[in-house]
Amino acid sequence: MAKKKGCMGCSLPIAIVVVLAVLGISVVSLLGGAFGNTLFGDLGLPEWLSVPAPHPELPAATIFHIGSIPFTNTMITAWITIFVLVAFFYFGTKNMKLIPGRYQMIIESIIGYILGLCVDIAGDKYGRKFFAIVTTIFLFVIANAWISLIPGIGSIIVHTADGEAELFRGVNTDINFPLALALVSFVFVEYWGIKTLGIKYFTKFVNTHKLTSSIGKLFKGNVKAGLAGIFYGIIDIFIGFIELLSELMRVISFTFRLFGNMTGGEILLLMMLFLAPFLLAIPFYGLELLVGFIQALVFSSLTLVFANIAISPTHSEE
Amino acid sequence: MEGLGIHLSSLIAQLFNFGLLLLLLYMFAYKPVIKMLDQRAAKIKESVDQTEEIKKQHELAEKETARLIAEAGKEGKKIIEQATLIGEETKQKAKQDAKTEAEKLLAKAKLEIERERDEAIGELRSAFADLTMIAAGKVIDRSLDKEQHRQLIDKMLNESKVLNKN
Repeated sequence: MAKKKGCMGCSLPIAIVVVLAVLGISVVSLLGGAFGNTLFGDLGLPEWLSVPAPHPELPAATIFHIGSIPFTNTMITAWITIFVLVAFFYFGTKNMKLIPGRYQMIIESIIGYILGLCVDIAGDKYGRKFFAIVTTIFLFVIANAWISLIPGIGSIIVHTADGEAELFRGVNTDINFPLALALVSFVFVEYWGIKTLGIKYFTKFVNTHKLTSSIGKLFKGNVKAGLAGIFYGIIDIFIGFIELLSELMRVISFTFRLFGNMTGGEILLLMMLFLAPFLLAIPFYGLELLVGFIQALVFSSLTLVFANIAISPTHSEE
Repeated sequence: MEGLGIHLSSLIAQLFNFGLLLLLLYMFAYKPVIKMLDQRAAKIKESVDQTEEIKKQHELAEKETARLIAEAGKEGKKIIEQATLIGEETKQKAKQDAKTEAEKLLAKAKLEIERERDEAIGELRSAFADLTMIAAGKVIDRSLDKEQHRQLIDKMLNESKVLNKN
């Protein structure tokens, strides 16, 4: 390949123009944002250049009511996400061929990636049973995260009965959504635990086996073994209590991990735009893309791992 | 709870959204894609198995061919050996036959020669007898009784050792 003249694939004059434009935008961005206002005072730049300071509100705003049911802006965005995801997969799987085209290959690699994850962690039998829920969690979270980065989400203001509100808002930043997912995950894990192990599943939480057998030993005259057994039996019961607690704590940790990360990311982006309206926020957009992927992966694979732990027999049976 | 924005109606709505998405994706994504992936995996496995089978068969056929060629070579060698043997035998027989024939001819020729010699001797003898008779008649000038005379000569000839031999 012949070496290209100029800089980064552009001819030299164009490259110089681009660099100058970037520098100019940077300067305007710095002067127009909060930085410039603080350092140099109001320079009288046009008002559209500056971004107002964010006033994050955690509850989602209600856009309209149908009957007495309120519909929030996050609900609307959730429908958009559902529509986008379903359309993406519907058109990709409409005419599936044994020898795939590019579109089909993208869809297959997404599904195949998560299926591979499920099968790796839970084995072929259970991996395929867990697959649907785990994949839906993954796709829903990542699509929500990425769609909320599209310009217009969070910046279109409508007037509602309760005052001004954003028309669209990232679904992950509405605590009801992470909570709903966490509850789905919780119910899913407990369902598979009970379905696979039956009543034995609960011995993880209420483990009195060692205590009762040790009391039996004590009455038979084996004092030393009996007393030691009672000691360990009490520890078992305590561990069971902790297990139960951690099971319930998962719902909270699931909820606030996703909610916190996503809300924090959104506020971070708004802050960056407030500080400098142009350019500065771009790297953080890249960061948020990554965070969206990671949170989706964490949520889905933790659900998968917890489900896998739930279907594994407990050690106390030995 | 109010500060975070947790509302039962929103929560139920999001649960419903999740359920809806799960159902739709199950219908439009998971089922067809997994079916396709499994189908392709099965197809690939089948192809690989088939290739393996063909390879095996090919190897077997190659072995069979080599065996057949070797066998044919052996057979050919054997036939040539046999032919050589038969040829040798035929040669020997022909030689033998020729020898026997020649011997037979020789014996026959010998017999013929002997017979002819005997004949010649007989003729010579009778001619000699006649000659002797004529000569003796001339000498004694009297004709002996011809019959008596012949007998006499024959007797003499028989006694003569030279002519009697053979």
